[in-house]
Amino acid sequence: MLRRLGPAFWIGSAWIAVVLAAGLLADVLPMPRYDETLAGPPQAGPSAAHPLGTDGLGRDVLSRVVHGSRVSLGVGVGAVLLGLLVGAPLGVLAGYRRRAADAVIMAGTDIALAFPALVFALAVVAFAGASLRNVLIVLGVLGAPAWTRLIRGATLSVAQREFVLAARALGARDRRILWREIVPNVTMPAASYAFIGMAVAVVAEGGLAFLGLSVQAPTPTWGGLINEGRAIMENAPHLVLAPSVVMFLTVLSFNLVGDRLRALTAVRESGLEPVRRAAPASLPTAPHAAGDVLLQVADLRTHFVAPHGTVKAVDGVSLTLERGRTLAVVGESGSGKSMLIRSILGLLPAGQVLRGGKVYLEGEDLTAYPPERMRRVLGTRLAAVFQDPMTALNPVRRIGTQLAEPLRVHRGMSRRQARAEAARLLASVGIPDPARTLRRYPHELSGGMRQRVTIAMALSCGPDVLFADEPTTALDVTIQDQVLRLVHRLRGERDMAVLLVSHDLSVVAEWADEVVVMYAGRVVERGPTAEVLERTRMPYTEALLQAVPKLTDPPHRRLRVITGRPPDLAALPSGCAFHPRCPHADPRCATETPPLIPASDPPPAAGPPAAGPPAAGPPADGTPPAHQPPPAADGPPSAVTPSSPAEPRPLAAAVPPSSTAPEHLYACWHPRGAGTAITEGAESHGR
Amino acid sequence: MAGSGTAHLRPAEQVVLRVADLVVAFPAGRGREVRAVSGVSFDVARGETLGIVGESGCGKSSAARALMQLPPPRAGSVRLDGVELTALRGEELRRTRRRLQMVFQDPISSLNPRRRIRDIVAEGTRVWGLGDSRVDEMLEAVGLDPKTAAVRRPHEFSGGQCQRVSIARALVPEPEVLICDEPVSALDVSVQAQILGLLEDLKHRYRLTLVFIAHDLAVVKNVSDRILVMYLGKVCELAPSTVLVDHPAHPYTRALLSAIPRSGLDLPPSDHLITGEPPSPVTPPTGCRFRTRCPKAAPRCESEEPAMRAIDDDHWVACHFPEQGEE
Repeated sequence: MLRRLGPAFWIGSAWIAVVLAAGLLADVLPMPRYDETLAGPPQAGPSAAHPLGTDGLGRDVLSRVVHGSRVSLGVGVGAVLLGLLVGAPLGVLAGYRRRAADAVIMAGTDIALAFPALVFALAVVAFAGASLRNVLIVLGVLGAPAWTRLIRGATLSVAQREFVLAARALGARDRRILWREIVPNVTMPAASYAFIGMAVAVVAEGGLAFLGLSVQAPTPTWGGLINEGRAIMENAPHLVLAPSVVMFLTVLSFNLVGDRLRALTAVRESGLEPVRRAAPASLPTAPHAAGDVLLQVADLRTHFVAPHGTVKAVDGVSLTLERGRTLAVVGESGSGKSMLIRSILGLLPAGQVLRGGKVYLEGEDLTAYPPERMRRVLGTRLAAVFQDPMTALNPVRRIGTQLAEPLRVHRGMSRRQARAEAARLLASVGIPDPARTLRRYPHELSGGMRQRVTIAMALSCGPDVLFADEPTTALDVTIQDQVLRLVHRLRGERDMAVLLVSHDLSVVAEWADEVVVMYAGRVVERGPTAEVLERTRMPYTEALLQAVPKLTDPPHRRLRVITGRPPDLAALPSGCAFHPRCPHADPRCATETPPLIPASDPPPAAGPPAAGPPAAGPPADGTPPAHQPPPAADGPPSAVTPSSPAEPRPLAAAVPPSSTAPEHLYACWHPRGAGTAITEGAESHGR
Repeated sequence: MAGSGTAHLRPAEQVVLRVADLVVAFPAGRGREVRAVSGVSFDVARGETLGIVGESGCGKSSAARALMQLPPPRAGSVRLDGVELTALRGEELRRTRRRLQMVFQDPISSLNPRRRIRDIVAEGTRVWGLGDSRVDEMLEAVGLDPKTAAVRRPHEFSGGQCQRVSIARALVPEPEVLICDEPVSALDVSVQAQILGLLEDLKHRYRLTLVFIAHDLAVVKNVSDRILVMYLGKVCELAPSTVLVDHPAHPYTRALLSAIPRSGLDLPPSDHLITGEPPSPVTPPTGCRFRTRCPKAAPRCESEEPAMRAIDDDHWVACHFPEQGEE
């Protein structure tokens, strides 16, 4: 947590600490008193005896600035504390109690905020005199309404969370809930704003002092010093410069500290943008041939450099996809399935990313495209639909405007043509009354309708491949069915390919022609959907299938539990990444990474491989075994077949003849159902 | 679908929780209000698991919170062991409510990020002055290490572990009824299986009565003895789990089941059983609320709200034209 604060926070804190210490120790520091006249020659510039020079009466400027910090910081900190003291309890009360208390308090704050601040300050100083106490009270009281609002907002967002409800269910009294559940969660945002508030108060005090409304001479204040120096600025500019610079640095430091604290509590955006430039350190790509298919992904890798290690989100994935087919990628969260789609599309988060592998669209290498060219491919030839339709829709623009824009940009339509085409698109995704929907805003539509709109947007430029990342996960089951039916129908009508990412195996079973099962960034099994689901080889796939409750099972039936947790992608287990959770694992699984093996081949021999290692272990250089040729029973394959791109299909596993029937492949030393036709694994999940 | 009526309630002495004509309403702006729950009745026998299933906006979560009186319902009766919760106020309510506990959907939002796991679980003992030994017992019962829990905070735990913490916290004050509001829908299937198994174990070990709310019928069937189907604030159908899945009588139940891909059930495709989208809960349809999406809707459905009636032994349905006698 401290690391995330960054150097700006620490530099700012250090400066504040220095100013604070100097102010506190001003009387004992070895320098002349602030009011000692003729401590040096008047209006002298900086010298060894007087580092910041002297003023018109020969008083030491450093001493005056240091003493002035007492007032400035005192007012800054004091006013904020006073404002918090008044505002925070009211804010917590309003946010937690709601109803009448909220209405009264907020009405009071609104009135207070409407009051002219400067008039108030003038009135207090005129009647009560300009003293440190009065300035503090003026600035503190003026700040209180803002604090009430801020704390109320923070309280509201915390009070709505389930842990507060749970505390009430447990029988905790309001006072306990406030102190244990609400206040600790409001403190952090309040602290960050407190620092920013201190900056504001320091500036405000400076302003008041400059106007002569703050603490009066001879007590020095920064604003007062600037005011005094103004008269003889031409002769002695340091008189204005010194307090100005110190005040500037102090305000900046308060702001930096507050800003960094706020960044700690704020939710970070997941910036999805095409990577601006190719990552300097690209990962090696295993040799492969570009096949004659619509979409080919070869040895794709995406690694993130994180503080705790390299996160291998996608680690050597290959697949091919033809027109008119649906390929499903399944896996648990953290298996890398969403990152696979983003890697194919080149939409990766900012930060240090290592990329490897190739993506071919009809033989063209997309990874070699500059970002400008890639942007033109996105949306026109490759389109994507994500889980949350609101990430794709701009909440403040009408559906019609958003739908028409790509049509006008990419397809050069006139405004009128685009509008007509947009209505046609909405009708094609089953939206009733498209003309009316065009005039609506996203928030006026239901979740299912929004997802239909994003599908219409994705289809607007007639893409070759539609990427759908959990498109129905946020939708109700009846709506999910409608949306998936729609995607299926459009795939046929438009002769597209669909790459569907889902965690729901029943969705995959129903709608996908081929399935790729991912675990820890790698493909562990893939092939025709029926083959993979009914003749499951990989124990992970089998366990996933058996963990899902089935409607045809009797109630209270025990589900298969996969022990343990998905691995940390920055510290993957050796060998097969699934081995710590696998009931069939043996020592070999912990040491050797199994390659993808055709299910039609005989299973790997038990024990150490006899005829040449099928995978020469997971080599230290990171060459993925996934693309090594399958271990043939009759000969040791070389680890990596050297090949030139001219040679057609040097690697069976890299380019399966997907145009006909995709091959069933799996990565496991101890496959289920090997040797026999169907074993217990296949029977128990027979769908 | 309107499914009003209380014909399906069992005699009071057989049940631990009895909910009758529950109404939950929220302001919807401009003086209007949404009736999230509109006259729902159900009961749960001791040791039974009642599954409540329905799509988003059907009022299942609002009903759950109204049971806890968080906030109290607009109208209707919630009786726990014969005690009318809606009539209780202040200290009395606080004491009685403790016997109902709840587990929420969002494992992250359910736990205070600023407290340690052990303190979160121990909250109930501190509020009620119970011994600390129960905290360790519960942590172990849900499969968490008390030593780790003493130092860790929620963000260091996975979603499944956070859900275990929520369950442990809810069991500390020794509740009779545990209300689980979508406890597994934010979890991966492998973790979901763990939590479902854990709930079954704890139910037997601590003689709990469960109200299990979810949108996934397969999950609900896996844990429930009886299932209640809700639509737009009303009850559609109530039956033992197997009966409901094998012989769904309400058109909405049938649509829900048929929308599940590869369910293994013999039902027509879902687009033959349901059309369109749910209507606005602010202005619900007259008569049966499902009629706007129902292929069987007739004029009678528009004018007359169907009441719950028995079509078989312990099989209740609120429909004028239920599906009957088909395999």
